[in-house]
Amino acid sequence: MMPILIIRCSLLIILTASISIAQAGENKVIADLQMAAQKQRIWQSAVWINLLHYDGKGDLADNYESEVNDRRFFIAPDGKTNPESELFATLAAFYKTDVTGDEHAQCKFIARLNWLKQKLSFDTGSLPVVHCDKYIEWRKHVRSDSVTLIFPAYNLNSPSSMFGHTLLRLDSAEDEGNSLWLSTAINFGADVAAGENSILYAFKGLVGGYSGMFVTDHYYKKIQEYNRIEHRDIWEYKLNLTVGETERIVTHLWELQDMNFDYYYFDENCSYRLLELLEVARPEVDLTAEFKVTAVPVDTVRAIENADMIESAVYRPSQSTFLLHLLNQVPEESHDLVIELSKDMSVARQDAFTSLPENQQSIIVDIAYQYLRHQQTNKVRDPVIAKRSHQLLLLLNSYSKGLAETAPIDIPVSPEQGHGSKRLTLGLGKRLGNNYAELGLKMSFHDLEDNEKGFFRGAQINIINLQIRTEENEGVSLYKLDLIDIFSLTPRTRFFKPLAWKIYTGFERQLTNGVDQLTTHVTGGAGGSWSLLKNSQVYALAIGRLEYNKQLRRAIEPAIGFTAGLLQYFGPTTAHLDFSGEQFTDGIYRLRASYIQNIVISTNHSIKLSAKYEWQEVDEFSDVQLSYQYYF
Amino acid sequence: MKRMLAGLVLLSGSSVAMASAGGDGCGWGNALFAGQNGTGPHVLAATTNNTFGNNTFGMTFGTNGCSTTGKLSYGGKNAVAAIMNEFSEDVARGEGDALNTVAVLYGVEPTDRDTFASVMHENFAVLFPSEDVTADEMIASIEDVMKADSTLARYLES
Repeated sequence: MMPILIIRCSLLIILTASISIAQAGENKVIADLQMAAQKQRIWQSAVWINLLHYDGKGDLADNYESEVNDRRFFIAPDGKTNPESELFATLAAFYKTDVTGDEHAQCKFIARLNWLKQKLSFDTGSLPVVHCDKYIEWRKHVRSDSVTLIFPAYNLNSPSSMFGHTLLRLDSAEDEGNSLWLSTAINFGADVAAGENSILYAFKGLVGGYSGMFVTDHYYKKIQEYNRIEHRDIWEYKLNLTVGETERIVTHLWELQDMNFDYYYFDENCSYRLLELLEVARPEVDLTAEFKVTAVPVDTVRAIENADMIESAVYRPSQSTFLLHLLNQVPEESHDLVIELSKDMSVARQDAFTSLPENQQSIIVDIAYQYLRHQQTNKVRDPVIAKRSHQLLLLLNSYSKGLAETAPIDIPVSPEQGHGSKRLTLGLGKRLGNNYAELGLKMSFHDLEDNEKGFFRGAQINIINLQIRTEENEGVSLYKLDLIDIFSLTPRTRFFKPLAWKIYTGFERQLTNGVDQLTTHVTGGAGGSWSLLKNSQVYALAIGRLEYNKQLRRAIEPAIGFTAGLLQYFGPTTAHLDFSGEQFTDGIYRLRASYIQNIVISTNHSIKLSAKYEWQEVDEFSDVQLSYQYYF
Repeated sequence: MKRMLAGLVLLSGSSVAMASAGGDGCGWGNALFAGQNGTGPHVLAATTNNTFGNNTFGMTFGTNGCSTTGKLSYGGKNAVAAIMNEFSEDVARGEGDALNTVAVLYGVEPTDRDTFASVMHENFAVLFPSEDVTADEMIASIEDVMKADSTLARYLES
């Protein structure tokens, strides 16, 4: 930074004399432009508001504030809070002659300049000539003939990744399809210091404290990061932006280089900022309005889809998805060979292997290699395993090219075609002998029984799930409020041994010692899940629970318990049978059986039947409910 | 607006923690070759939204070593080094995106890419003589192999 400052200072001194002469003529031009801008009130134009990331509305410029948190982004001293004065200052800055080259406003704010030139149709000949070397150099590297929205979807065993992430990719028209790895990825993220504690990350991500920034990188790094390290499939949506719209994104991106925004995990996040970029590209669409409170990435994809901006979708399966696909290509009997070969190269010389046809051999070697590498994800390089990996590649290479023709991978339903993230429930039921009506609202995201289209089976994550009931002879009361509810059930196989786990916390009604009242709890557990048949899975987990309940002896009473059940997918309906129970340290126990069946009517509508029976030392009771679910 | 989010701290805490339990950790252990460079420090494993302060637009400026060097366009040799793992797998098979990407980096015309793939496939053991080969050695071998091929040699002439 210092050298630049020094140069600018010395230039100032040298140029002072010439500026004073030129100023009279320039001032007139600037004043005319400013007057024209004022007359047309162009500071209120959506383009200007978008380019400066102002939030606000109305005719008064004071009612606006930019979400960019960086003085360097504004030319006027009050630019952050006054779109009009920033506009005037920007016009004046374009005519400055005491700054040259890359530091000149003409080089720093190219999208603003392009738009103002067009909007005020002014004579560009009147502008001082400035050479933007850095920008020109940058543009040489950033090929941008089309724009693709990138959505790394969920990790099978990490429901928290369900929220996903979005980024943009700038592609070159040349070599379509073959140079995508070299395309430019545009990512908005929090600037987190390396090694920062994850709890602190979560906290600051929620309440503020991080700066967010746009970052560009080669797309192959994103493939490596998502497809290979995090085992997430990637969806790539080619957008139908015109050349001019794409140009606005790229020039505006240049303006945003190194600029700090506030970063919030839930609303002002990666996906929200990308929507803003798309609004800069196409000012007539309003994509951000519905995401002022939360911006769940898949919902933003849906918004872009609804704005008719998506041309086509491409599926890029993760390494583990592809591995599973390959495993389905070889007979079950060969799975032993795959595992053995991944552990011991000498298996390749055994009859069991050499007696197979060559194409089968080559697939088995390929799978064994990938399986071995998959197990090494995020582990420190082990020389012995590296050696075996290399030997497997050598062996794979010994088969002729194209020998192992495998069937193309089935493309799943893309995530944006799934049900909406929020859910409204209207139910009627009977609990403890009392009839009730229930109103439920879930802020996000997916239950095990919800319509599986576009989601992974066995992955539940809910945030803020509220159930309010009104009972006969009683008023309205809170029945349940789950703050977080994650239940991850990825089936164990011979190749992958994921842990099934659960964590949920919040408030819920519990009948204890004959008293029905609201309790507070944290419940979590771990175990396993297995897929016995194609469309069913079973699970069993050990559970631990801490409960605040006035009927229990301690203020916070611990319990141990279990949950086990069966999920059956019938296509348009999913059934879930569960047995669970907990034993508290003060002797109280609860045992329950529940059955839920969700019948899908259409993507965003379903009917749910739930029946629960609970046994305790003094009581036993049922809760039966029929409800309608609307997802939005 | 922000206040409603405060209640969700635990969620995110768990999501980060669980992500770790699911096996992200920090670091980049998936490298097969001892001599691979170019990727490690650039990829932050923990979460998807993180960035690097000094790498915002750096890929194009050479500030992180990704300058265009030699005959290669785009990200240059560094890109080849960065996708060394994927490239080795594709060379072993004789096809794939990484193989195509390297061909593009060398400016190989679409009509010659099959030749490029075949020649690389036939020379796997030359390119990757051991698991300890370095990226620079691999690049030198790619170029030697190309020079020795009548179709591919022209892509290395200046």
